[in-house]
Amino acid sequence: MKRRLSIGLAVVLLAAVVAVVVWSPSDDAQGGAQGELTTVRGVTGSEKLAFFSDQRVVDAFARHGLKVEVDTAGSRQIATSLDLGKYEFAFPASSPAAQRIQRDRKTTAAYTPFQSPMAVATFEPIVQLLQAAGVVTKGAGDYQVLDVAKYLELTKAGTRWDQLPGNTAYPARKNVLITTTNPGESNSAAMYLSIVSFVANGNTVVGTPEQEATVLPDVARLFRDQGYTQNSTEGPFEDYLAAGMGKTPLALIYESQYLDRVLRADGSIRQDMRLLYLAPTVYSKHTLVPLSDKGDQVGRLLSTDPELAKLAATFGFRTSDPRVFAEVVGDKAPTDLVDAVEPPSFETLERLLDAVAK
Amino acid sequence: MRTALVGTGLVLAALLAGCTDDPYPDPAAPVGPAEPGVLRVLAGSELTDMQPVLDEAAKATGIEVKFTFTGTLEGAEALANGEVDGKYDAVWFSSNRYPAGIPDAAKRLGNQVKIMSSPVVLGLSGASAKRLGWADKRVGWGEIADQAGRKAFSYGMTDPSSSNSGFSALVGVASALAGAGNAVDAGQIAAVTPQLKSFFSAQALSAGSSGWLSEAYQRRASGQDPGAQVDGLINYESVLLSMNAAGNLPEPLTVVYPSDGVVTADYPLTLLTDAGNDARDAHQRLTDHLRTPDVQRKIMETTHRRPVVPGVELDSRFTVRDLVELPFPAARDSVDALLSAYFNEIRRPSRTLYVLDTSGSMAGDRIASLRSALAGLTGADGSLTGRFRQFRSREEVTMLPFNTTPGTPRTFTLPEGDPQAGLAEIKAYAEGLREGGGTAIYDSLSRAYEVMEPLVAADPDRFTSIVLMTDGENANGSGLEEFQASFGSVPASLRQIPVFTVLFGEGSSAELGQVATMTGGKVFDARNAQLGEVFQEIRGYQ
Repeated sequence: MKRRLSIGLAVVLLAAVVAVVVWSPSDDAQGGAQGELTTVRGVTGSEKLAFFSDQRVVDAFARHGLKVEVDTAGSRQIATSLDLGKYEFAFPASSPAAQRIQRDRKTTAAYTPFQSPMAVATFEPIVQLLQAAGVVTKGAGDYQVLDVAKYLELTKAGTRWDQLPGNTAYPARKNVLITTTNPGESNSAAMYLSIVSFVANGNTVVGTPEQEATVLPDVARLFRDQGYTQNSTEGPFEDYLAAGMGKTPLALIYESQYLDRVLRADGSIRQDMRLLYLAPTVYSKHTLVPLSDKGDQVGRLLSTDPELAKLAATFGFRTSDPRVFAEVVGDKAPTDLVDAVEPPSFETLERLLDAVAK
Repeated sequence: MRTALVGTGLVLAALLAGCTDDPYPDPAAPVGPAEPGVLRVLAGSELTDMQPVLDEAAKATGIEVKFTFTGTLEGAEALANGEVDGKYDAVWFSSNRYPAGIPDAAKRLGNQVKIMSSPVVLGLSGASAKRLGWADKRVGWGEIADQAGRKAFSYGMTDPSSSNSGFSALVGVASALAGAGNAVDAGQIAAVTPQLKSFFSAQALSAGSSGWLSEAYQRRASGQDPGAQVDGLINYESVLLSMNAAGNLPEPLTVVYPSDGVVTADYPLTLLTDAGNDARDAHQRLTDHLRTPDVQRKIMETTHRRPVVPGVELDSRFTVRDLVELPFPAARDSVDALLSAYFNEIRRPSRTLYVLDTSGSMAGDRIASLRSALAGLTGADGSLTGRFRQFRSREEVTMLPFNTTPGTPRTFTLPEGDPQAGLAEIKAYAEGLREGGGTAIYDSLSRAYEVMEPLVAADPDRFTSIVLMTDGENANGSGLEEFQASFGSVPASLRQIPVFTVLFGEGSSAELGQVATMTGGKVFDARNAQLGEVFQEIRGYQ
């Protein structure tokens, strides 16, 4: 059964998580402007690099005596193959990846300061084509959605763009496929797999080995047919922005990546560019796992510091307090997204990812 | 395990002897220990054109890039077997697609930051483009393959196992011709093999490097080389636009952007996962700088590659802006099946004649190197690169050993299908080579043309080349001048055969250079490198 998760409910859940962790470690936020900054090195999904590199964010951390340096890597790479020994925190883009790190590092601490639903960056001509094909519809909310069930029908038939009726806008001899990242390495691909496996499983979260086996052929195709995929979500989104429709007609991204560009108003979001929400979608819950006291301080600040929360919203992230996000984003994004589902359990998702990454 | 990487044909003493005061720095040798402010980068040789941009970047960021150049497959292999560990901080190839398919290589790829992009496309002389009707009309790979199959035009392309442009072109053409709209797999490759054969029947030039290919095209177009003119090139858009910008072509190339799609190089400057903190910081600062709009514009202007960040508009030289990207197979077995089919079934078969010095001075290590170098081409080298550089099915190989006089030539023809028995014969022949006597280089080279003549007459449609390897000065028979004087009377069909000369021991670099130049070949220096690696490198040109 499809669950409707409003932001309000999410906030209650998140607040609970935050409240548990905030008070546990000792408060060492001393330092300050006059003191030497303490360097904290972390690893994060590429989608948060711009946030950490922003001077205002750097300054906000500096006011707490911290200099945060981040490396970027695919979230699943962070969780599975990267040597975390040299980092003080790991900040993958999803809770399943964070759970894996927590299990491996034998820690229960985690912060989820912000989240972002999965969406598709595309172009107006593509929206019109997919509307005509019944794949893009007016959703349950007040915004257009890409109907994942209809999309799966198209992909199951191996439909190429040039086979869509009346297509003169984009007659590419290439399958209709959303460009994703590598499911073996990147969180956004894992989130996408959560969505498509839910739909392929008759709108139910995949929970048994039998269900995994049943959905696998239909979902594996979505990755296999793409061929080579990049290992980080910034890759396809940059291709979308710089190389355009020919290369990337449909890019799976975090909503935050698109909103960040819209809010920057730097001209990178051009007239014909569109953001489509997926129906259903999944929220990517950016979860920081502290690996040291200093890393813990970073997580705590991100969760509690009002200035950092506001800055996170300017980068398009949906903050724990939805009012912060709404204030910053205004009418550029719907406040509440309906039709959000939960990812499968960590173990199920891992098995599915391994199977489709083959 | 191979210890040296051959990308340019110049592997000098620094690598082998570990000395650092070599007056001729080796472009293929690692650049020493990690140091702050220096990024040690294993890279594709085409990135030499980034030097002006990197010099400015060094001023702006304090980060100096020290390059070591190698080929695409060699680079993937160096990643996979750990040769890069501790020696380099980053790799920078035209794409990470191939290493990403090899788990042991993929796990060493850290932070990947795309710097610029260039699609692999077809460049045709203006006249050829007009003749074919492609000057003002978009065409797909299918029509290009049809016309190629009718020999309506000829083209040059790099060897897909040595250079990324050839590799990308092969994948692009196969994906487009398969027409399924998804990434090609081994089954689709088999189905599309007849069309691919037709497409590659028009390939008139092969090369181990993109740079040599452009030069050969230009020298042939201007009549400097004896070889027949070629109508076009498959290469990066950036190479084609740079050739036009250099202004030494008789007529500029028309760039044909296939309407059904291209494969695009995106040049990710990729930190290795074991890089130290200084290198991480250097990588971050350098990539941030290279991706600023001003530097992106500068890259576009100086290298003719496309910007990868939004907000930098393409200038008017980029006539087609929005290009469909063809899916690139992710599975290594699909790529390997394609490479294997290309070498053993699809491409025009090769005819290769080796003129081999077996004079007395080859005694000891040298004759042993020669034997093992030839054996390495019969499958004895099981490495990633070795597999695609060995003698192939359908290939015709002639050995002509010489000392005081030319020896007895022996021709081996490898059958279509399994070449194992033929390879074993070549290996046994190589192991039987004995040294002794003098050095009659030019009598033997003249003899090579006589040996070639009936072979070429019987079967003219082969990629034909001569390799001339010698470890000394000419001591017997006719000299270079006499050879040069007689070259004019060599039949035209033979005169255009490139001679790839190999400097070994005390071989004369000036004379062998002249032979290479007059025949449209190239000199390879094996004086301080493994002869086997040089022989493998030459395979890219055969």
